[in-house]
Amino acid sequence: MKALFVILALVTGCAWAEDWPQPDWPIDDANRDWQAVDAYAFPARPTRERTGIRTDALLIIRDGRILHERYTAPTTAATAHLTWSVSKSVLATVLGVAQGQGRFQLQDPVSRFYPPMRAHPDVRMADLLHWASGLDWQEDYEYAPLKSSVVAMLYSRGRADMAAYTAARGTAASPGQRFLYSSGDSNLLAAALRGMLGAEQYPEYPWHALFTPLGITSAVWERDQAGIYVGSSYLYLTARDLARIGLLMQRDGRWHGRQLLPEAWVAFNRTPFAQASAMAGEANPGGHWWLNQPLAGAPRPWPSAPADTYAALGHWGQALYVLPTQKLVIVRYADDRDGSYQHDELLRRVLAVLAGEGA
Amino acid sequence: MKRVGLLLLLGLSYWAWQGRQALADFPGILSAYSAKEYCSCRFVMGFEPEYCQGYVKQWLALSLLEEDRQQRRVTAEGLGRRHQAAWQGPREGCRLLR
Repeated sequence: MKALFVILALVTGCAWAEDWPQPDWPIDDANRDWQAVDAYAFPARPTRERTGIRTDALLIIRDGRILHERYTAPTTAATAHLTWSVSKSVLATVLGVAQGQGRFQLQDPVSRFYPPMRAHPDVRMADLLHWASGLDWQEDYEYAPLKSSVVAMLYSRGRADMAAYTAARGTAASPGQRFLYSSGDSNLLAAALRGMLGAEQYPEYPWHALFTPLGITSAVWERDQAGIYVGSSYLYLTARDLARIGLLMQRDGRWHGRQLLPEAWVAFNRTPFAQASAMAGEANPGGHWWLNQPLAGAPRPWPSAPADTYAALGHWGQALYVLPTQKLVIVRYADDRDGSYQHDELLRRVLAVLAGEGA
Repeated sequence: MKRVGLLLLLGLSYWAWQGRQALADFPGILSAYSAKEYCSCRFVMGFEPEYCQGYVKQWLALSLLEEDRQQRRVTAEGLGRRHQAAWQGPREGCRLLR
């Protein structure tokens, strides 16, 4: 009986000891030397040119406590910063809640929820989540503005109705057979979500399903003229709020005592897409998240980070890294206009600071 | 020489015909991009006008970038095209008009 009490006390003690950002993040103020990390992330900025590494925010959290936090003006802890394509992985997390509510299955055809996809009846939800719809797409922002499908979708021909623009594309490959990174695929997911929910519930849903339960108050998610969330690109969050999504993922979908996101959904997010092929230095696609897990015959994309590292990544250096074994969540916001910044280098330096602590 | 010129002209015409839709869309992209992203920079991220002007700056210059602070509306003009974006609400952020 006594032993039972001890065990019970231990179990409840552990549950209490777990840190959560409620209402705000606890801070671990142990003295650590972040100089090597800051020197890399925050070099002096040239006054006229937007060149080199330009970190706007860096937030490092371990097991629910802030270890390090730094901003570059005008970005502050209160700034809801544009996340660009980090939006895609957050959209996948919203969809995970919907899947947990039984609103769809991964093998469902997208056309069931979004009728314009009857033109491509074999594309399934899982294919969109793997960026493998097979729809013809050119994803490039600055370097090929003439040919870029994403520029056309956001700023010209496609902007009124981004999902319809994508669904009207031709076919480049069979669905599910080839990874072809496409912001159009993400916006089809955003449109399919509306089909599952109906126009009434849809506008509230990201808040109702995800943001409010997590205590996120800074979210802004822009829509196209058709009222569909620009799931590919236009979510804004403070660094501290994006880190809440990181902690939810790090804890396999659990938020306090509640399994907000099915554990199996997080496992799907973290499973490499079998048809993808490795590109040097580039993280591998999972279920709308990016993985450091190596593909057959290739090295880890980020050799300094453990293989179970995964991330949500966006244009101009936006990143949310999750290192489950180390219990680390790292948010980086940036205004990188060139390719100077390397994910691996930042992660290497962060891990070096924490090396002596078993992290 | 004449023949080379003719071939070049034919090649260019073919390229232009192939990309006619993209070429027709191109002049509008600069002002649409600038209006939308400047609007979000100002009224969603909450940065100052001077910062946002630098933030949206491209290698092609705009002829106009103007904000109506009261209406939270932005007008951008460049390459002969004009676009407007406006703030829609605290959760909705900015959107291109029309």
